[in-house]
Amino acid sequence: MMKRKCGIVRFPGTNCDRDVFQAVEMVGAEPVWLWHADQFIAKEYDSIFLPGGFSYGDYLRSGALASRAPVMKSVREAAERGIPVLGICNGFQILTEAQLLPGSLIRNNHLRFNDDWVGLKFQNTNRFFAGALRKGTNAKLPVAHGDGRYFVEDDELKRLQDKGQIWLTYEQNPNGSINDIAGVMNEKGNVAALMPHPERAMTEWMGGVDGFKFFEGDLT
Amino acid sequence: MSNGAAAEFEAKLKKYRINRAEHEMITTLLGHEPQGIEWALFSALWSEHCSYKSSKVHLKKLFNKSRRVLESFGENAGVVDLGQGERIAFKIESHNHPSFIEPYQGAATGVGGILRDIFTMGARPIALADYLCFGEQSAPRMKSIVDGVVRGIGGYGNCVGVPTITGQTEFHSSYNNNVLVNAMAVGLFGKGERVFLSKARGKGNWVVYVGAKTGRDGVHGASMASESFDEDSAAKRPNVQIGDPFFEKLLIESCLEVMAQDLVVAIQDMGAAGLTSSSFEMASKGGVGLKMNLDDVPLRDPTMSPEEILLSESQERMLLICEPSKFEQLQAVFHRWGLDAVKIGEVLDERVVELRWRNETICKIDPDLLVENCPQYQRPYSPWKAKNRVAGSSDVKTGVKNANEFLSSVLKDVRGTSRKWIYHQYDSRVGAKTVRDCADSVGIVRLPESGRGLGVILGCRPYVMRWDAREGGIDAVAYPALELAAKGFEPLAVTDCLNFGNPERENIMSEFVASLEGMSATCENLDAPIISGNVSFYNETMGQNITSTPSTGLIGLRDTVSEIPVSEFSSDGEAIYLLRLPMVATGGATQELNKLPVTGFGQLEPSLIGAFTRLVRVLADYREGGTLLSSTRIVGKFGLAYALARMSMRGTGCRIDVDKLKAARGEVSTDDLFREHMYEIVVTAKKGREQDLEAEFRQIRGALASADLLPIGRTGGQKVEIAGVLDYALTDIQNSYKTGIWA
Repeated sequence: MMKRKCGIVRFPGTNCDRDVFQAVEMVGAEPVWLWHADQFIAKEYDSIFLPGGFSYGDYLRSGALASRAPVMKSVREAAERGIPVLGICNGFQILTEAQLLPGSLIRNNHLRFNDDWVGLKFQNTNRFFAGALRKGTNAKLPVAHGDGRYFVEDDELKRLQDKGQIWLTYEQNPNGSINDIAGVMNEKGNVAALMPHPERAMTEWMGGVDGFKFFEGDLT
Repeated sequence: MSNGAAAEFEAKLKKYRINRAEHEMITTLLGHEPQGIEWALFSALWSEHCSYKSSKVHLKKLFNKSRRVLESFGENAGVVDLGQGERIAFKIESHNHPSFIEPYQGAATGVGGILRDIFTMGARPIALADYLCFGEQSAPRMKSIVDGVVRGIGGYGNCVGVPTITGQTEFHSSYNNNVLVNAMAVGLFGKGERVFLSKARGKGNWVVYVGAKTGRDGVHGASMASESFDEDSAAKRPNVQIGDPFFEKLLIESCLEVMAQDLVVAIQDMGAAGLTSSSFEMASKGGVGLKMNLDDVPLRDPTMSPEEILLSESQERMLLICEPSKFEQLQAVFHRWGLDAVKIGEVLDERVVELRWRNETICKIDPDLLVENCPQYQRPYSPWKAKNRVAGSSDVKTGVKNANEFLSSVLKDVRGTSRKWIYHQYDSRVGAKTVRDCADSVGIVRLPESGRGLGVILGCRPYVMRWDAREGGIDAVAYPALELAAKGFEPLAVTDCLNFGNPERENIMSEFVASLEGMSATCENLDAPIISGNVSFYNETMGQNITSTPSTGLIGLRDTVSEIPVSEFSSDGEAIYLLRLPMVATGGATQELNKLPVTGFGQLEPSLIGAFTRLVRVLADYREGGTLLSSTRIVGKFGLAYALARMSMRGTGCRIDVDKLKAARGEVSTDDLFREHMYEIVVTAKKGREQDLEAEFRQIRGALASADLLPIGRTGGQKVEIAGVLDYALTDIQNSYKTGIWA
C-alpha cells in the first residue's frame, strides 16, 4: 500500500515542525517538508499539517504574517479541494488569520504563557482527523501557549454550534476561551485545528497516547 | 606627569577598570603605553568575566577528566560521549547583573547566550534548565524582578523551541539586592554529526559575520559584570542587551544546516565582549592571526565608533571561518533563512590581529597577549575549618513545636510550596522528547536514536552553603547526583556556575576555595568530571555579599526510559523504606524558616557518597522482570515529614510505624521529623518485590557498612500518619501546597 503523503509547512520560527514530522513517521505515513516561501501542488498530498511555534516571531499578531506567506496560497487550494488540513497551536492561529477557520485566538485571560496537560472532550466527530475519537470521548493532551483564548462573536458562535463545527472543548478552561473551545473545524470538516499538541502525546513515555489518532488519517 | 595628565590617566584606569599593576604589565607586554583602542581591548579581555583571573589557579585543580569527556573548559561548552554515536554538549552560565537591572531582557538574553554556546558546537539544543535565587518578598522591586525573570526565560525559551525540563528556585534575604539567574542548556549530536570548535585555521580563509546587526547595546557589559553594584546600578540599564528569540531560532537552524553541509572551519558566538573576545579567542586558540575590516561589520547605527563595534554585546551574532570557495553556498543557506552572512576579514599565518577602520590600521596586536597573558591572581584565603557544629544529632534544634502546624506553614511558604506558578510559564515538551518535566525531581528527555534516557538536574542548596562552605560544595554535587541515581541514572558529568561575592575579600575567597575542593572531591568519587561552566564574582551590592552559591548542572544516563520510579506514592499497600547513609544531621531549611542559624552535626565524606550513589542507582535501575522500586524521593529541605507530604501529593497517603522509624533513625521526635539526615531516600518497593529488594541491597552493599535499607511503614489511606507525632490529611497537603505563590 502507498504511504499517505503528509505535507508539513515550515515557516521561519515554526518550532514543532520536527515533532510533527516524527509523529507522522510514527503512524507509518510519509512526511514531506513544505517551505513557507514556495508553493506546492496541493493534489499531490493526502493531508497538510501546520505545526506550532512562533512563525515570523509572532510579531504583529500570532499567525498574522504567516497567513500571508506564499505557501498559504497552496494551503488554501488544498482546503478548497477537500484535502485534510490540520493546524496545531500556531497552526490554528495561522488558519484563523487566513480565514480558513472562523474566530480568532487572543492573549490568554491570565496574560501568561501556560504549559500543562489538559482534559478535552470531543464535541463532534471529525472523520479526517482523530476520526476514531467520536463525539463524547475524552482525551488528555499537553497545551503550551500564550495566545490560546478562542474568541468569536455570538452569532458566529451560534452558527458553529448549529453546524457542528466545535470539535474539542477543555474540561477545565486554561485560557478563557469562549465556551471552553479548544478546537474547531470548517463546515466540511477537512480544515480543522486545535490549541493542544497531539504530537506531544504519541507514546506512554511522553505521558499519554491520545495524540496518536490525530495523525492516522481518515479511518472511516 | 602634570596634574591634569595624572587626573586624565586616573580617569582612564577607572573607565576601563584596569588597575595600576595591570597597566604596567600591559605596557611591558606591548612594549609601549596602551594607545587608542588597546585600552578597550585589554579592559574587555582582562576583565574578571572574560579572563577568570581570580579563579583560574583554583579552577585548574578541578577534577575534569574521564573516559567520556571529549571537550572540556576552553571551548564554548563541554562535550561528553554517551556511546552508541550519541554525544552531549552542555553548560551553565550566569546572567545575574543584567537580570537585576533589567529582569526580562537580562534573563532572556541569558537563555539566548547559553543556547548559542551549545549550537555553536554543532549540537541541537534539546533541553534548558534554570537555577534562580531571589530575595525576600518584601525587598524592593523583588516581586517584579521575579515576574520579569520568569517571563524573560519563558519568552525566549518558548519561542526558540527548546523545552525547559527542570529548575531550582531559592529565596533568601542575601539575594535582596543581587538575584541569581543561571541558565543551563543541553545539546545533542546525533550519529555522524561533527563537533565544531572555535580554533581559527587556514591562511586565506574568510572571517564571516552572521546574524543580527551590531548596535550599541551591551557595550562594556563584560566589565560591568566584573565589579560590585552600587546605588547607581539602574543607570547601567543601557548596558543590558536586548534579545530576539525569533532571530536566534533562525540562527540555530541555519548554523546547523551549514555545519551539516560541511561549510564551516571554525565557529564562535559573540558573547561577552562581543566581536573582541570571539575574534581574539579564535585567533589565539588556532595559533593564527586575523585581519578584520570593521567597516564591513553590519551596523544598526552607522555613527558607531570602532570601540563600540568591538565591545557591543548585541545578541544573536556569530563569527565563523569558512573556505573562500564555500562562501557562496554558505551565504545561500543563511539567505534562505533570511539572515545575512558578510565577509569581514581573513585568516593570517602571522599571529597577529589587525583591525582596519576607514582605510587605517587602528590596532595590530598578538592575540595571545590579550587571551593568554592576563595576570592570574592568588587572592588571599584561609584553609577550611568546620563551623556551626553541635555535639550530636539530637542537639540540632529545629525550633518546631507542633508538627502539623509547622508542616502546614512550610507547604504555604514560598520556600516549600509548589513551583508550578513559575514553571507553567515554560514550554516543557516542545521537541517531543520530554519524559519528565519540572513537576518531577529530575528532568528527563529520551534520546531519539538509542531510546536511552538523559537525566538533567541542578544542584546547590544555599542554606547548606550558609552552614558550611565545604559541605555546601560537596552537597552541590552529591544531592543532584543522588537524585539522578534514585531514578536509575548514572551521573556522567557536571557543569558549574560559581556565584560568589567580592573575591578581594578573604572570607569570600575562603568559601570559594573550600566549596570548590568539596565539589571536586565529590566529582572524582562519582567519576563525573566538571567539564564546563563559568564564574560570577562581585555579586556584592553596597557591601552586602550574596550567599556563596556554586550552582551545578548534572547529566545522567539510563539505558531505557521504561519504568523510571515516580516521585509520589501511587498505590496502596506498598512497603516504604528509608535507604540511608547518615553522615550529617542538620536543621537546614527548617531552622531558617524559624529564623534560627543553621547548625549541624557530622561531616560529609565524598568517598562514601560515590559508593552510595552507585548503590542507589543499581537499585533504581531497570531490570528484567521490572524495576524493583516504584517511587523514590530524597529527604531534603524540611526533613522527613515534608518528603512524605510531597510523596502523598497524588492522593495516596502513608502510615509510618513509629517503632520501626525509631529503629531506623534512633529518634522519633517533632525535631527529628524536620531535620535533614544527609543522605536519606524514601523508597517504595513494587508489590511482591520487597524480598528481592532487600536481597539485592544486602548483595551489593559490599563494604559500605554505614548504608542501610530499613522498612518504616506502608502506603495507603488519606493521611500522612506517624502515630503520636504527625497526622495530616492529604486534602490539606494538596491545598496548602498551591498557596505559597507570589504571582
